[in-house]
Amino acid sequence: MPKDVPGITKRILFVSLFLTLLLGAVGFLGISTGSSGSGFRAVWWALVNDSRSDPMSAAIIWHIRFPRVILAALVGATLSLGGLVFQALLRNPLAEPYILGVSGGSAIGAIIGILMGFSRFPGVSMTAFGGSMATLLLLLLMSSGHSKFKDSLLLSGVMVNAFAGAIIMFLMSMTQDSRLHNIMFWLMGDLSLADMHQIGILALVLLPCFGLIFRFSHSMNLLLMGQEVAETMGVNIRYVTVALLVTTSFMVSLTVSYCGPVGFVGLVMPHLLRLVIGPDHRTLVPACIIGGGSYMVFCDILSRVLPEQGEMPAGVVTALVGAPLFIYLLKRSGR
Amino acid sequence: MKHHSGLLLLLLFAAISTVLPVQVSAKTVIDQLQRRVDVPDNPLRVISLAPSITEILFVLEQGDRLKGVTRFSDYPQQATALPKVGSYVNLDLEKIVSLKPDLCIAVKDGNPIEIIRRLELFDIPVYAVDPRDLDTVVETVLEIGNLLNADIIARRVAGDMVSRIKKIKTHVAQVVLRPGVFFQIGISPIVSVGAGTFNDELIQLSGGTNLVRGSSAYPRFSKEQVLSLAPEVIIICSMARQGGFERMKAEWNRWPSLPAVRNRQIFLVDSNLFNRPTPRLVDGLELLFQLIHPEFIEGR
Amino acid sequence: MKSALAVHDVSYAYGTTSILKNISFSVQKGSFYIIIGPNGSGKTTLMKIMAGSGKFEKGAVEIMDRPCGQYSRRELARTIAFVPQNIPDDFSFTVREVVLMGRSPHQGVLGLERKEDGKILKKAMAFTGIEHLAHRKIDQLSGGERQRVFIARAICQEPRIILLDEPTAALDLAHQVRIMDLMEQLKNEKGVTVIMVSHDINLAAMYGDRLLLLKEGRIVSQGPAGEVLTFETLEKAYGCLLLVDESPLGAFPRVTPVPHKLNLEI
Repeated sequence: MPKDVPGITKRILFVSLFLTLLLGAVGFLGISTGSSGSGFRAVWWALVNDSRSDPMSAAIIWHIRFPRVILAALVGATLSLGGLVFQALLRNPLAEPYILGVSGGSAIGAIIGILMGFSRFPGVSMTAFGGSMATLLLLLLMSSGHSKFKDSLLLSGVMVNAFAGAIIMFLMSMTQDSRLHNIMFWLMGDLSLADMHQIGILALVLLPCFGLIFRFSHSMNLLLMGQEVAETMGVNIRYVTVALLVTTSFMVSLTVSYCGPVGFVGLVMPHLLRLVIGPDHRTLVPACIIGGGSYMVFCDILSRVLPEQGEMPAGVVTALVGAPLFIYLLKRSGR
Repeated sequence: MKHHSGLLLLLLFAAISTVLPVQVSAKTVIDQLQRRVDVPDNPLRVISLAPSITEILFVLEQGDRLKGVTRFSDYPQQATALPKVGSYVNLDLEKIVSLKPDLCIAVKDGNPIEIIRRLELFDIPVYAVDPRDLDTVVETVLEIGNLLNADIIARRVAGDMVSRIKKIKTHVAQVVLRPGVFFQIGISPIVSVGAGTFNDELIQLSGGTNLVRGSSAYPRFSKEQVLSLAPEVIIICSMARQGGFERMKAEWNRWPSLPAVRNRQIFLVDSNLFNRPTPRLVDGLELLFQLIHPEFIEGR
Repeated sequence: MKSALAVHDVSYAYGTTSILKNISFSVQKGSFYIIIGPNGSGKTTLMKIMAGSGKFEKGAVEIMDRPCGQYSRRELARTIAFVPQNIPDDFSFTVREVVLMGRSPHQGVLGLERKEDGKILKKAMAFTGIEHLAHRKIDQLSGGERQRVFIARAICQEPRIILLDEPTAALDLAHQVRIMDLMEQLKNEKGVTVIMVSHDINLAAMYGDRLLLLKEGRIVSQGPAGEVLTFETLEKAYGCLLLVDESPLGAFPRVTPVPHKLNLEI
């Protein structure tokens, strides 16, 4: 590496490379795990096109497991990045990607879609997306005149989620048929319906969002000094805040609409990575994308491996892993 | 050079998948959801996507063809030894595909449509049924029998069901009084059954009157509401353990004003005879008839 | 006479409460201008307006003889640097990283360091005497050290004007003087205009070329220290007993608050 490459660039590259290798390893593990029992050997044979490769195993690996791993990586990346951005924007370490009513709004939208008999894609996904975007708009309108914009936004978001939770309970108590099962599975996060075409579209939309957020990573650093100071250093607060808010909400809504709200990833990953890498968002953004993706792929493997029958919902695994992890991080940072 | 192997493999798979599963010959049928399905002439590897389908397959003596069942396929006993493919609302796609079925039989009420679609993308034919009442259950038995080349047995089973139902109908035609029945499927909260459910149909057919009105399939009741209905027969059918039933019975017995309590007509029944669209519904019908019209046992 | 920063008849009200009313003053290039006044006099609001992050309803602000609205954010950041009194304490970058942030108005989108940034960085840190702290985390430093880091960061913006918000408020005596000397040095050596809001009247008297005394959003007095710091004006502004005499250290006034217990009548 040439001598005059800035230290930060070297850091970004090093961290990204390391995490990419991790993602590759975890991804390989992911496509080697499944209820049909095809293991590492079958995957290796499929990869190198060995003659011993069984077409059924290959089909399972590429058409069922592989899309799922990609989806998990995308979801983990989006949620981790979402948590990072909201923690920087709202200056609150408890901020997570659903904080602006996304989980509540999309859940109500999804339930309405399920009760109307739509299938998961595109019907329920669209109603879920509509629900979360409508909620965001409502929140922005409610807080726009406020002097303490950030606080008002945050509080309103929490209230909306709580209210939505009540509505969800109500709707669920009124539903007595198998659609109730569908609702519950969606609410706990469901990666099992990963389809390669749909994921391709998802990736196509999400990747530019990642790029945009990376572009603002330096501004996020400056924002940490306080809005006024950042402004005097040339940051256009309004523009940056709106761009980040809209992009992040959009991509989180998109993800949640597709596979339901998966919790604890967006809250835990930024803190974990900050502890290891430091506060510079130029490194944290790629780290959240690749590292967050790896984390979700890992959780997805656990969800398929831990129960002896069937699979655990994604949201349950991330909570079981994430909550103790978060408590541990709290204790570490308290020193 | 090696990165072309993935692409080659996908092409290979695409080529193979047009042949998978190996189909000697096939026919096109229309299933109960009006879908055109290409099914093999003689399916040897069938996967049942609901416990009721599993039961029907065994009744038709085609258990040998069955290679996979859903988690709660507990009847008959042989079914519990078969590989599980998840639960009927949460099917395990990978497991199903790995069992290499040449036919899957699905139910509309419960199986997620997305899984059905993905199975078809793997060129696995899926035949969907939607039994809503006794008549369509009989049709389902006949259709599945036809799919599995077991028409003779199917006709026998269907005939048996029809004749038993007819017999009950004949008895009921002679009945003078139709007691009010409260069919309780949930203990806490109290849930009953309304129009459109199997239970409701069986109550009507067995000569009772379902006291539940309204369009909701599984309405909730408070104890007061049940008391005001004054049922003459209370049937408790809960998947909860025996202890729950005893407690509920004791609860009702505290209200001697209830006709059901006075006449000692509070019964516990096996829920599987009443909520699964299988030939056992007829067993349920006969049981219900005995409970509601005990005067017929003594013979007339 | 060209001014570095000129405020013309600026007013600002928060709802129905008037915070600033008809404020007009002008700061000469290369001078040391200090704004004083009791709490609630509108000093902080005025500072924000001068820094370009505060709104005002009436009037105009000119920076380097151009209306402030004509500057883009980046241009403004290269002209005026703002040194806050404090920053949020969950900010845990290293000293070097913080000072480097001062280069962002001159850098690209990602704030990557170039050779010239490194040179300017080094000079700024040498000027403020914090080179030995380069790799320490800023949240682990003392108040005085942290203030010098902020100043070094501001210097890296290569501004014509530097604004400081009560920089000595939380510092011990040694650091108070050190900071003021640094500003004096900056003014003399680099020709930077220093505008400061201060709560310390005596420091203001010692260092300020011109002072501005505010009370409840209005100007009480402005001009050289000797003119502004008189018994009448100070009593009007602060509403308490103050003894004003000439400092034994030089030709500037000295203000001493008079405690009640002495039972003195002036």
